[in-house]
Amino acid sequence: MKYLTEYRDGTIARGLVARIHQAATRRWCLMEVCGGQTHTIVKQGLGELLDDTVEMIHGPGCPVCVTPLEQIDKALHLAARPEVIFTSFGDMLRVPGSECDLLAVRARGGTVRVVYSPLDALALAQRYPDRQVVFFAVGFETTAPANAMAVWRAHQLGVTNFSILVSHVTVPPAMVALLEAPDNRVQGFLAAGHVCTVMGWTEYEPIAAKYRVPIVVTGFEPLDILEGILMTVRQLEEGRHEVENQYVRSVRREGTPPARDIVQRVFRLVDRKWRGIGEIPMSGLGLREEFADFDAEVRFGLTGMSVEEASECRAGDVLRGRLKPMDCPAFGTRCTPEHPLGSPMVSSEGACAAYYNYGRLRVTAGREG
Amino acid sequence: MTLASASGSVQCPLPHVVADRIQLGHGSGGKLSAALLRDYFLPRFGNPHLARLGDAAVVPVPGDDVAVSTDSFVVSPLEFPGGNIGTLAVHGTLNDLAMMGARPGYLAAAFVLEEGLPFGLLGRVLDAMADAARAAAVPIVTGDTKVVERGKADGLYITTTGIGLLAPDFRPAPDRARPGDAILVSGPIGRHGMAVMGAREGLGYEAEVSSDTANLSPLVERLRAEVGVAVHVLRDPTRGGVASALNEIAVAAGVGVELDERRLPVPGPVAAACDLLGLDPLYVANEGIFVAFVEPAAAGRALRVLREHPLGSNADRIGQVVPQHPGLVVLRTAPGGTRIVDMLPGDQLPRIC
Amino acid sequence: MCLGIPGRVVEIHDDRGLPMGVVDFGGVRREVCLAYVADQVKPGDYAIVHVGFALSLVDRAEAARTFDALRELSQLDELDWLREVADAAAAERPEAS
Repeated sequence: MKYLTEYRDGTIARGLVARIHQAATRRWCLMEVCGGQTHTIVKQGLGELLDDTVEMIHGPGCPVCVTPLEQIDKALHLAARPEVIFTSFGDMLRVPGSECDLLAVRARGGTVRVVYSPLDALALAQRYPDRQVVFFAVGFETTAPANAMAVWRAHQLGVTNFSILVSHVTVPPAMVALLEAPDNRVQGFLAAGHVCTVMGWTEYEPIAAKYRVPIVVTGFEPLDILEGILMTVRQLEEGRHEVENQYVRSVRREGTPPARDIVQRVFRLVDRKWRGIGEIPMSGLGLREEFADFDAEVRFGLTGMSVEEASECRAGDVLRGRLKPMDCPAFGTRCTPEHPLGSPMVSSEGACAAYYNYGRLRVTAGREG
Repeated sequence: MTLASASGSVQCPLPHVVADRIQLGHGSGGKLSAALLRDYFLPRFGNPHLARLGDAAVVPVPGDDVAVSTDSFVVSPLEFPGGNIGTLAVHGTLNDLAMMGARPGYLAAAFVLEEGLPFGLLGRVLDAMADAARAAAVPIVTGDTKVVERGKADGLYITTTGIGLLAPDFRPAPDRARPGDAILVSGPIGRHGMAVMGAREGLGYEAEVSSDTANLSPLVERLRAEVGVAVHVLRDPTRGGVASALNEIAVAAGVGVELDERRLPVPGPVAAACDLLGLDPLYVANEGIFVAFVEPAAAGRALRVLREHPLGSNADRIGQVVPQHPGLVVLRTAPGGTRIVDMLPGDQLPRIC
Repeated sequence: MCLGIPGRVVEIHDDRGLPMGVVDFGGVRREVCLAYVADQVKPGDYAIVHVGFALSLVDRAEAARTFDALRELSQLDELDWLREVADAAAAERPEAS
């Protein structure tokens, strides 16, 4: 596929790895913000290739991992209602709530459907007018324009049996929260390429300046990640702390203004709880008053629900880079992909699941000497 | 005779024949059942054993060991690009027998039909089964049909059981994998799963992808004739894809598996559909390929033999068995990194993250 | 979030006021909402698509230019030469093993 598969070339990748080793005079600690970038790093085994030069801390850029427990429980409650067809992206189906997950609710008789696009969920609502279709609107700024359009369209077409359960988060406040933490070790960031496709990169300029960290807007294929890391390492070696754009084929400084316009018309900034991190002010999106009809929490009376997280899951420390998954006492024993205690073990790019996959090999190899 | 209906209301004493779809009465063992058998099943599957309509078929079986395999088919949607549930039901069981080195001899087929199943659809499914069985020269010698109430079956479920005949000197088995074995795949991966997924509502994409459902026995027969005992393992990677099949073999034999990402044959549209939905082709179901573990000295010959046959024209070597990391499958990526290819806890789900 | 892939816009139409299109991803086609790129998009353009929405159009000139630069950057010849020099220097040192 054009503009995609050529960025997976193994020979160029190996050359870039060599360049990164060549450019670094010491080991640097970087964070890739986006879960999709973590996925590529893990899937391609890049972390191990770079380990001498770069320590990659996997950031909280996985909406699956940071969706608060109470939002999952609200989703489970809605999915169990007989009149509801609960629709969601596939990512959310195995995330554990307080009692179970969406797949378990489906097994018990709830109607849970995976969709690729929020417009598919809206189409379902039009096809089944006697059911309530609820869409789990999870994501970062990348997905907000799509979710906003679904609500806008429902409003425009007069579809009344459609609503969304919102759990949107925005990246910059989370980055600031990480940088403000006293034990922060991250020295440079790969910013999320598709978030920035929508938002542009102007929000990151004050962050780079204030905290003196290089921020490189990076894509998702192996060559994108490696080039992004190389650009970040070069900035660090040269003592620069700017915002640069690696993902030039998709990202412009101003982003995609029409997409942001719809998001602003439908959503507003709200305080949001990030699972494992806690509440970050003005870090989330909620539906505006005039669209309250489409808010599933309002329609089904679920506002004000709050849940305590089980203490054994150390997702918070892992997401902040303070704890390596393999050092968590529950890792691989009470917490595995088959029975996860928290979301970083569920999601394929959650830090814990990532270590479970490639970390195990090194442990085995270590034992064999 | 009366036909009691689910709602219990008074019925006309004559069987009320709804011309175009299955009713509960078709499963009752009476006239409607007999008519269904006579009009739909017998003409398509007709052979002397079946025509006797005994409770079991009595068939002659030469040789010593006999292979038996059974499988249920519940695919949804029932029809998809490249085939239907019937095609899978015949090919799937033939392939399971072939993977043990057996020449398929006979098939049995049991049907659970949902009330309301259109006859037209049933006809197409049975036609596909009859065609597949005839092409394989394997008769369906006995069977059963039941009908359940609307909502209790996804239209149609089929269970097929196959009996195959084993030669004494060709017994591939999962635990026979040995360090040094070459791992071959007979064709491109990921076609069936992506064809079925594309046909499902909600993920709706159009792709030039058809199911690869096929009878692999002729291809296996070529391997038996030309490569023989040097073939240690055969496995068709259905649910869970190539990744799951290799994991099962690695565990059964207590060996490690190493794969080369650059050698995996993934057709363009399959890769594109996987990229669109965030899926890994290694976990996508296949219905017309197998992996073969072959002694290193015989690997070249085995590849040649496979490539000479239309079903094996894209055969390639994708990895090898190693003594390290027993029970684990490890992939060497294009940039030179490694990752473990684990069994998934459940189904692979589309992702947006 | 993240999973966005590039596809070629094959056809553009209007669905009750919403700009929609058919996008071809290497042989797989899907309906995509073009609302956010509507003022610039034309058939033959490549768009980055996420959950059924085109988020931006691929800047093909930039993509070509930067990919060539990337390929050149990754050439190993210069590195191989450096390595040879380093190895030769190490071999001449008395403590070389």
